[in-house]
Amino acid sequence: MSTDATDPSTEQPTREISLTINGEDVVADVEPRLKLSDFLRDRRGLYGLRIGCEHGVCGACTVSMDDRIVKSCLVYAVQADRSDLVTVEGLADEGDLHPIQRAYHEDHALQCGFCTSGFVMATRELLAETPDPSDEAIEKGLADNICRCTGYQNIYKAVRRAADYTQARADEEGRMGERDQEDDA
Amino acid sequence: MSETGIRPDVGTETGTETDGEVGGDREQFTGTDFERVEDHRILTGRAEYVHDITPENCRHMALLRSMHAHAEIESIDTSAADEHPDCDLVLTGEDVAEQYYPMPCGLAAFEEPPLAVEKVRYAGEPVALIVASDRYVAEDVLEGISVSYETLDAVTDPVAARENETLIHESVGTNVPDGERFDFGDVEDAFEDADHVVEGEYSWGRISGVPLETAGVVATYDPKRDAFDIDCNIQLHTLVDDTVYETLGYPPEKVSLNVPPDVGGSFGTKIAIHRYCCLAAMASQQLEGIPVKFVEDRLENLQGGDMHSTQREYRVRLAFDDDGSVHGLDTWFVDDFGAWPRYPVNQALKPLSVLTGAYDIEDVRYDYEIALTNKTSQTAYRGFGVPPHLYVLEMAMDKAARTLDMDPTEFRLLNMIGPEQMPYRLPSHNVYDSGDFPAALEYIRDHVEDEERAEGGLLDPAVVEEKREEGKYRGVSCTLHIEPGVSGSDWTDRQRSDRDALEAREREEVDELPEHLRGEISRDGTVRALLATDSSGQGHQTIVTQMLADELEVLPSEIEVEYLDSVAAPTEYGSAASRMAVMVSGAATGLGEQLRENCCELAAETWGVGRDAVTYREGGVERLDGGSGGDANSDDDDSGNGGGGDGDESDDRLSLADLADLDTAGGRAHERFTRASYDYEHPATALEEFDEALTGKFPVYPTAAFAANAPIIEVDAATGEVEILKFYSLRDCGTQLNPTIVEGQAHGGIAQGVGAALLEEFDYTDSGQPQAVTLFDYLLPSIDTVPEMDIHHSETPSPFTETGAKGTGEGGMIDAPASIASSLNAALAPLGVHVDRIPATANRLRNRIRDAEAENS
Repeated sequence: MSTDATDPSTEQPTREISLTINGEDVVADVEPRLKLSDFLRDRRGLYGLRIGCEHGVCGACTVSMDDRIVKSCLVYAVQADRSDLVTVEGLADEGDLHPIQRAYHEDHALQCGFCTSGFVMATRELLAETPDPSDEAIEKGLADNICRCTGYQNIYKAVRRAADYTQARADEEGRMGERDQEDDA
Repeated sequence: MSETGIRPDVGTETGTETDGEVGGDREQFTGTDFERVEDHRILTGRAEYVHDITPENCRHMALLRSMHAHAEIESIDTSAADEHPDCDLVLTGEDVAEQYYPMPCGLAAFEEPPLAVEKVRYAGEPVALIVASDRYVAEDVLEGISVSYETLDAVTDPVAARENETLIHESVGTNVPDGERFDFGDVEDAFEDADHVVEGEYSWGRISGVPLETAGVVATYDPKRDAFDIDCNIQLHTLVDDTVYETLGYPPEKVSLNVPPDVGGSFGTKIAIHRYCCLAAMASQQLEGIPVKFVEDRLENLQGGDMHSTQREYRVRLAFDDDGSVHGLDTWFVDDFGAWPRYPVNQALKPLSVLTGAYDIEDVRYDYEIALTNKTSQTAYRGFGVPPHLYVLEMAMDKAARTLDMDPTEFRLLNMIGPEQMPYRLPSHNVYDSGDFPAALEYIRDHVEDEERAEGGLLDPAVVEEKREEGKYRGVSCTLHIEPGVSGSDWTDRQRSDRDALEAREREEVDELPEHLRGEISRDGTVRALLATDSSGQGHQTIVTQMLADELEVLPSEIEVEYLDSVAAPTEYGSAASRMAVMVSGAATGLGEQLRENCCELAAETWGVGRDAVTYREGGVERLDGGSGGDANSDDDDSGNGGGGDGDESDDRLSLADLADLDTAGGRAHERFTRASYDYEHPATALEEFDEALTGKFPVYPTAAFAANAPIIEVDAATGEVEILKFYSLRDCGTQLNPTIVEGQAHGGIAQGVGAALLEEFDYTDSGQPQAVTLFDYLLPSIDTVPEMDIHHSETPSPFTETGAKGTGEGGMIDAPASIASSLNAALAPLGVHVDRIPATANRLRNRIRDAEAENS
């Protein structure tokens, strides 16, 4: 038995990265072996992404990187250099729920919630690409995320509801845009 | 995704009764689809799971695990790790054994060391621990430990393990440390006299819950108090805390287990994470109070994370007559518990609570043996040993119907327990409380006939024929299953009980654990409730919120529900065994009543009037005599301060805020009205029906929720691949406190049942190497493998429980595997294939189909 509580003394190589996280510019020194998931959670305090498997199956760590979702456990932080990251914390305005989050809540599409950030991020990309997804499109879009609690039934519902909310918001913004144009005219 | 949402029996009185004086227009929350209060923090990333807790000066633990299934430890050389500049601490099994104690097991003869001593008994067993500045470094340092092993023969076949050729525990002298044969009725005669007997051998693979969140611990030793604070995601933290404090060698009040409000799923499995709690606590103590964190990674979790569950080999016989009546059931099985018989050894006994399923069978033998092998030890999983029993029962029923050439549904109906037999006492002494099982089965059968057997349906005969020509076999079976709910606690140590003492036991010696709930009215008028049990996604905060809102006639937003740690909470059972709907709703009702009564007493005293002159109404107490003539200070209350407060006592209404003010202002530190606790007694304790089961320590489950299922299945005979085209289910869990949550539990349970039936298994090689160590190997159902579910509901309130609710947390996992296996039998009947192994993977089914084709040609 031995005890010796000290700070790490072994020099580990580090590299500087600069990136945008939820709209904020960030510069950091990281070890090349540091996973993006660990960087975001442990160094940036973004605990909304969860670590479920660390081998790219469960999808709980899904974040958006340059408008494409990635499993952050399969990306090293150094690979995110000069990228634009969005995590679940970047979706909602203070105190409000993003339409996708609202839909997951209203349709009871979460129980323990550990997978939910990943599903919300995957749904966000799905709806950006397919605003009115069929059941098949939902399956394809969310097949890389595992939920162990809900049996997925309410996730279909939530995605459809989120699509409606997103569409309604787009319509409203469109109308406001038209009105602005009229005002300008 | 249609949800017809038929609720044939839903009455109008789903709300909780309150004072009976409530205005008719007050909104009720209990029984409604009230939205969950847990969601907002989770959705916005603000929930705090234990993985998120990292105190400032926290250090990180990593474990060295055995790569061998069975080996002597010859020596451990930790010198390179010790010398590593970033290493804070190294501990081996011997270091731990010098200062601490073994972990309690499920059987008295066993004491499990937290780190292996002298030998390892399964691949993945922890051998040494390292603490370092972060997990990356800790894993670097692990490489500095070298262990020299002398390998031994591995035992992996539980049936062969019983020969004791190689012993897992030499000191115990047998690989079968527990077993019991129960004969109910005259089994020999039943089998001798029957016209027919069918026999079968069936296997249930090693399947488990695999929650998305792995185990996690942050342990801090406080040298000043000589006590431990342990944040962790253990399940049943007030019941199994002995596995931690006994191992540390401390009394319970010195070891506080604190489970955060959000736990990322457990499904029974996290009952057994105590090893991590113990090791992190020991490490923190060795480091004089530096917090130590451990998060199990997924490979550890799957390989040796104390997380596997039931694996059984069965032999089953069924005795029946030409007319289709079943008279005898005989089940024998070996339960592979892995290396150590952990706490849930009584998983082998729980099937006694549903011994004959939904059928009325008089003469039954139940015979089990617990076998030890070189595999990860067994923990609990949703259903707690019941799913395999119901699966083999239905396989035997299918075989019998086939022998008689009877329609399987008719055969099942013929033998089903009728509503006139309720409450129904099983031969094994548990009692089903209520339900019309035949009507439920007929309902689902007729519904499927109407919807799917008709033209254009999934089972349209023309379509079925067409598909068969393509080599695709469709079929459905309608089966009905019981979910035994609300386990008693007293019976659970049957296997550790002295047999003679058990025989002589009196009813008064039965000691059940109630459900504890506390409530406190704050001076701002809000109500704070404190749960004594942990949660892992079931929505307990929501249920308590909606119930207390109704009880106290306030808005749900006025109620906050929090949790007690293991020191603050009394020992109770916790959230397992489909208990919480019944227990926490009973406790919330009682607590609400208590608080209302307290408020009335305080108000009456304040106004100086009798209790009868006041009534509780709309979140406050009102004076019925309307006057203000009472003299508050003439009250005979010995506090002498009955009229305390701010002078509002002459009004005819006191709000909760007023009452809390009065209560605290009067210096009533020891006699507070606005603080109360309530213990809801286990429903079986007051019922004579359960006397025999309780006294004899037979499994006691006083609610019988039930489900009639009809999964429509297609099997591709060329590949063995199974597609569940649609899963129909009529479900009844008594009074529904929150139908949305009930439905969510059904969805999730059925999905886990689909995984168990078709995909999931922790297989081992003959040398004891685990074959499922990633989620590429242990296949969890994804959105494209879980079928569309069409769930219907009925409500048969339990006559035994306070709210009429029945337990409903485990149902889908309990009933879906048996239902799916039976539908597979129906689909493959033309080929003569009968499912004999769960999971029925594509490969296994393909082999069975190939064998059948060879036999038929």
